[in-house]
Formats: sequence, structure tokens, C-alpha cells
Amino acid sequence: MKEPGFVVAVGPHIHSGNSVRDMMLHQIIALLPAVAAAFLVFGADTLRVAAIAMGSAVFWDAVLQKLFKRSLSIGDLSAAAGGLVLAMLLPATVPWWVVVLGTLVMLLLGKHVYGGLGCNPFNGVLIAYVALLLSYPGLVGDYPVPTSDMMMTQNSPLLELKDKGAEFLDETFPLQDLFLGSTLITGTIGEVSKLALLLGGLFLVLRRKISWIIPAGFLSGLAGFAAVFWLIDPETYASPLFHLLAGGSLLGAFFLATDWTTSPVTKTGMALFGLVCGVMTMAIRLWSQWPEGAYFAVFMVSMLTPFFDKLRPKVFGSKFGSHRQVQF
Amino acid sequence: MRPGKMRGGIRFSHPLDGLSSPFEDLPTPSVVTVALQQDRSGVCALRVKKNDVVLAGQIIGESPRPNGASIHAPISGVVTELIKAFQDFHGRMVPAVVIESDGAANPCEIPADTDPLAAVQQAGVVCFDHKTDPLAAKLEEARSRKVGTLIVNALDGEPLLSSRARLLLEQAEAIAAGIDALKKILDLGRVILTVDANAAEAIAAATRAFSGAVQILPLRNRYPQAVDYLLVQRALNVEIPYSLGVRITDIGALLVDVEAMAAVGRGQPVVERFISVATGKGHVKNLRVAIGTPIRAVLEHCRITPEPGGKILAGGPMTGTALSGLDQPVTKEFAGVFVQGRSEVVKLEEAVCIKCGRCVEVCPMRLMPFLISGFSEKGRLAEAAQHDLFACIECGCCTYLCPVRIPMVQFIQFAKGQLMAQRKGV
Repeated sequence: MKEPGFVVAVGPHIHSGNSVRDMMLHQIIALLPAVAAAFLVFGADTLRVAAIAMGSAVFWDAVLQKLFKRSLSIGDLSAAAGGLVLAMLLPATVPWWVVVLGTLVMLLLGKHVYGGLGCNPFNGVLIAYVALLLSYPGLVGDYPVPTSDMMMTQNSPLLELKDKGAEFLDETFPLQDLFLGSTLITGTIGEVSKLALLLGGLFLVLRRKISWIIPAGFLSGLAGFAAVFWLIDPETYASPLFHLLAGGSLLGAFFLATDWTTSPVTKTGMALFGLVCGVMTMAIRLWSQWPEGAYFAVFMVSMLTPFFDKLRPKVFGSKFGSHRQVQF
Repeated sequence: MRPGKMRGGIRFSHPLDGLSSPFEDLPTPSVVTVALQQDRSGVCALRVKKNDVVLAGQIIGESPRPNGASIHAPISGVVTELIKAFQDFHGRMVPAVVIESDGAANPCEIPADTDPLAAVQQAGVVCFDHKTDPLAAKLEEARSRKVGTLIVNALDGEPLLSSRARLLLEQAEAIAAGIDALKKILDLGRVILTVDANAAEAIAAATRAFSGAVQILPLRNRYPQAVDYLLVQRALNVEIPYSLGVRITDIGALLVDVEAMAAVGRGQPVVERFISVATGKGHVKNLRVAIGTPIRAVLEHCRITPEPGGKILAGGPMTGTALSGLDQPVTKEFAGVFVQGRSEVVKLEEAVCIKCGRCVEVCPMRLMPFLISGFSEKGRLAEAAQHDLFACIECGCCTYLCPVRIPMVQFIQFAKGQLMAQRKGV
């Protein structure tokens, strides 16, 4: 009598159900409030850019997977999520072909040349953003006037700060409008409503898809560095609150710096990574020719991730000695 | 002293479903197969011959170690077969005794031993945890090291298992008697009972039975805090390294589980185990099972029909050992039986790590599981050891949360096995 075969395998024999698809789906859902806010301000163009970005990203992912002879895995939604994050960094008026070019760069240089998902040293979204901004500064770096027919451009809060200083900032950009989003203030699609970004970010943190440590480090590093200068000279320098709410601070802190692959894995590493990102953001805003530094900062600081990953916690019980000399 | 804070680990949503299920007695099986190695005592020396008539509780295997646990006949009947090489659920080949029941439950008269330590040894009590050390040997060691703190553990080792909490609820008096017996052997200044904070009825039963002599420490469920060294850290706030040769007795403490305490308190030979039987759908039943009972009989009693392509596990869903067949008998090492249907079997496969960091976050030993497993996968064993491979307790939290389902525990076990084989080969 032969027994029906049972599976014999090493534990654990249950799984949480956590998956790449699940993580990416959470990221997409977390960005929906920001998309909705941008839709209210910029209209249907928001949806156009988001749809083109997501669709073309999935398309390029499939093409490149075929080309690199990898198994087709567009179902993990990583390309779709990446496309949506890239759309967040672009103005609503950007031509369709720029978006399609961007997603190609994102998936080619940010994923497939390195060996696929998880092997890339840099966030593909940021590679694409940097490439587009350097190639088409006018199309990617100029922001439309929300209320007009979008043929005109307008200064974003951070550019206004760069051009005219901090003196009249509070009147031009009331903090409340910066926080909630308004048709008075322009920026990229993802920079409209900080409330929407905060909701999405908290959703990711509470669902344990991202660690709270990186955003907390990022925002405190940014606010702390801004506060130093503001306290010295509030006439010349903008307040920490302005810096938190203007531009891509929250987008960078919750959606870019937390990129799973290119951010550190240890708590100490995450905290320092976040802090350095925040400080770097401020450094770029203060002293470079670019008005916004959050995205560049994350891109550059992720080069240090291998270093941050060396900041490991002490192994359980290591007061008694090192496990490396185990007599086994 | 404040209880230690647990870092890492997983809080499961329904950890104590089985607490409300009273222990059911499994009917005496017609045939039992008793392996002559049931714990760390080593292979016991055979004390019966074929066709011998044995009584329940009679010694059939004597431990080769001075304070090792002997093995007793779980039922009364006739020895029908002596198997020379029986493959137990670890895959070891050990001798085994097959006893056919005589239908009656004739107990063996046990002479009351005046020495409490000898009584524990004679009763064949082991620590019913994942290590199953013989209790008498542990007590002897504890006595020689002047251990003054006893930790009695009523936390179940894994999600879905609930036999320890239920045992505390049903047999608090026996456990209290066991603690009193240990007080005669050791000079105990402090006794701590660790129990799941959700098991309110069990805590109430313990409070009634222990009358203040025992400090009850309720802990919120968090897997794998019931693993010995983690539990000592929870109870005494001291971190003892895993696999560095440092022992719990070195800090003057002894850790024993409630089932061993109840066995000591009853003073009878250990011929049964209190186990939880759970399915992947979450049904949990608590059973009192004679050692040597085939798993088949256990599952039949619980009306569980195993599916081909499913899994039968000795132990819990996180660290249980998969059984290849239903004829495996219950041993002293069984904390439970977990049955999975075909569709519930988790498939882990080689995949590319995306460096999300969940394994690092959840590791209770504060390791970098993805790195160790990655080195092992590439055959870079020295580097795996450099990243504290041997500090891993193989609890499985990393693999449980891994989004790409890398079989990290398997890679870690592989590396450990390879390195140990290399060391032995030299």
C-alpha cells in the first residue's frame, strides 16, 4: 500500500503573502490622493501624463524582458508603479513622447541593464528624471499656470525663492495653500498637495510597506538644516515649514528615498540615509543653480547606500563574544 | 528587574485559537511504535525482549547518560517486534519497540523514589521544547552551578499551537507541585512564569494554584519569543548568545516548560504528550496522546483527511519538520501536528533579492538574513559565517515576510551543514 505523497520541505511552512506585486500595488494606491489633487488643479492633463507613463512603462518592461530573455513579469506591477512615480515628477504639460522616452530610460538604465528588479544601484525613476531634466530642461523644468490654458509658465515656490528671496514668500504662497494644494501654486504633478502625499505616505508606513525611519530622517534633516539658516537670518532664508511644504520634500521623503532596492536595510543606515538626504536637499536648494534638490539629493545619496548598509545592529548576545569565532 | 524588550519577530493575528479547546484523550492505540531515541539522551539500551509482556510505565529503554531520560512502555501489552533500524521523523535510523495493546490499561507499580532528582530521571522527563534535553541532566547542571532563578514557560512555541497555555489552565496544580519538587533540588530564590498575555483564563488558574510564590509574567504574543535564549532575555533582560557555548545556567537561571513541570508534579513516567493538532484552515484541537501512537490515528481522531501533495508537520507551521508518511509515531519531541492541504503549501523558490529589508527588520537575532542566505546560495560559506551565520536560530521570520519568497532558512541550514561537515572532515 503506497501512501499518497506528502511534500517534505524546510520551514517556514506558511507565508505572510507579502509580495512585490502587493508592495507595488500599495505604492500605486498611496499615490492616488496626489493624482486626484493634481487632477483638481491641472485637469485632465494629469491623467494623460499618468496613463502614458504607466502604460509605456509596462510596455517597455515587457519589451525589455523579451529582449534580455527574462521571464515576463509585468504582473508584479513594478513598472506600473515606477511609471506613476515618474509621472509625479513631471509637469502636467509635458509632451507624450518625453514621458515615453523617460519610461524607456527608467526601465533600461534603471532596471534591465543591471539584471532586473532588485539589481539596480539607483532608483530608475530618478535616473529617468535626471536624464529628462538635463535633456529637455524647458519641457520638464517649466511648470504651467494651473488656471490658464497651460500655455504660460509660472514660477514654482522654490524657483520664486531662488529668484526673489524669502521676503514676500508668505504672501505669494500661503502655507495653507502649499499644504492643501491650490490653483495659485504650480509645480510637478506630485507636488500639488502635501496633504495628499502625507496621507499616501502614512498609508504605506501603517501598512508596513515602507519604514517610517527614512521619511522621518529625511524630513527632520531637511527641517533641521533649514532651521539653522532661518534662525540666523529669517529675512534671507525661508522657514523650515516652507521648505517642508514646498517642492518635492514629501514626495522625496515618502516615495523616492524609500525605494526598497536603493535604500539601506538597517535601522541605523536608514536613519542616516534619511538625514543625509534631507540635508543634501537643503544644500542643493541653498547653494546650487537648481531650485529643487529633493530628487537630486535622493539620487546622489543612494550612491552611499552600500556604506550605510555596513552600519549593522549588534547581533543578539554579542556582549559575550563574536559569533564569527564559533567553535562548531 | 524590568522584562526585556523584544526586537524583531512577528505578532500573529490569531495565536491562541486553541486555548478554549480542552485536552481530549486519544483512545489507547492497538499498536504503538516506540523509538529508542526520543531526546538528547542518545539511543537508549533495550531492556525488553520479543514476546515480553510489558506494563504501562515499565522501562523499556535505559538512557546511556547518567542523568538521561529513560523510555517507558506507553501502554500495557506484548512486545511483538524489535526493529533494529527504524527511520524516525528526523531521518535518523534508531532501534524501536513495537508493542501490541492487551486492551486493558495495566499500570506498572513504581517504587516511590526518595531522591527527587532520581525521581525525575526515573520518570523520563525531558524539556518539551525544540531541544528536548533530559530534565534530570539539566537539573544536575543547574544544581552544580547554584542556579537560583527558575523560569517556567507556558508560552507556546509557534502560532496555532496552544497546548502549553491549555495545560497551564487545566493542570496548574500539577505544575505547582512540579515547581515544589524542583525547589527540593535547587535553592530557588525566584520563580517566574512566562505566559501569553491573551490567555486570561490560564493566568487566572496559575494565580489560584501558585499563591504568590511565583511571579507571573504575561507577555504579548510575539513569535519566536518562546525560543529559550529569547525567552530568558524577555524574563531576565540578559542577552545570551546563541551557539557560543554560553549557557543559561551561566547567568544562574534555568528554563523549563510547563509540560515538563506537570510531568514532574504528577510523578508518573512520561508516556504521553499534550499536543495541539492544527490545520492550515486554522482549526486547533488539543489532545493527550500516548507516545508511539501513529500520526494516522491522531489525524483520524481529529477527522482530518490529509491530502496528497499537502504537508504533515511534526511541530508548528513555522519550524515544524515535514513528515513523509502517516506511520511516524508521536515521540517526546512532538509539540504538535500541523496539517496543510495541497493548496496551502507554500512554494519558495530561488529568486532575486530586492533588498527591501524586511528580513533585517524582523530578525530577532539582529542578523542580515538576506546576506547570509545570498552568500550560502553562491557557495561563499566563509563569508556567510563572517556574517554571523551561526547566530541564526532558524525561526523563519525572514522567509515568512520575504516578498520574493527566497528560501532563506533552507540556504542557512545548508551553509551550516556544509561548514560543520568541512570541520568534521578535517
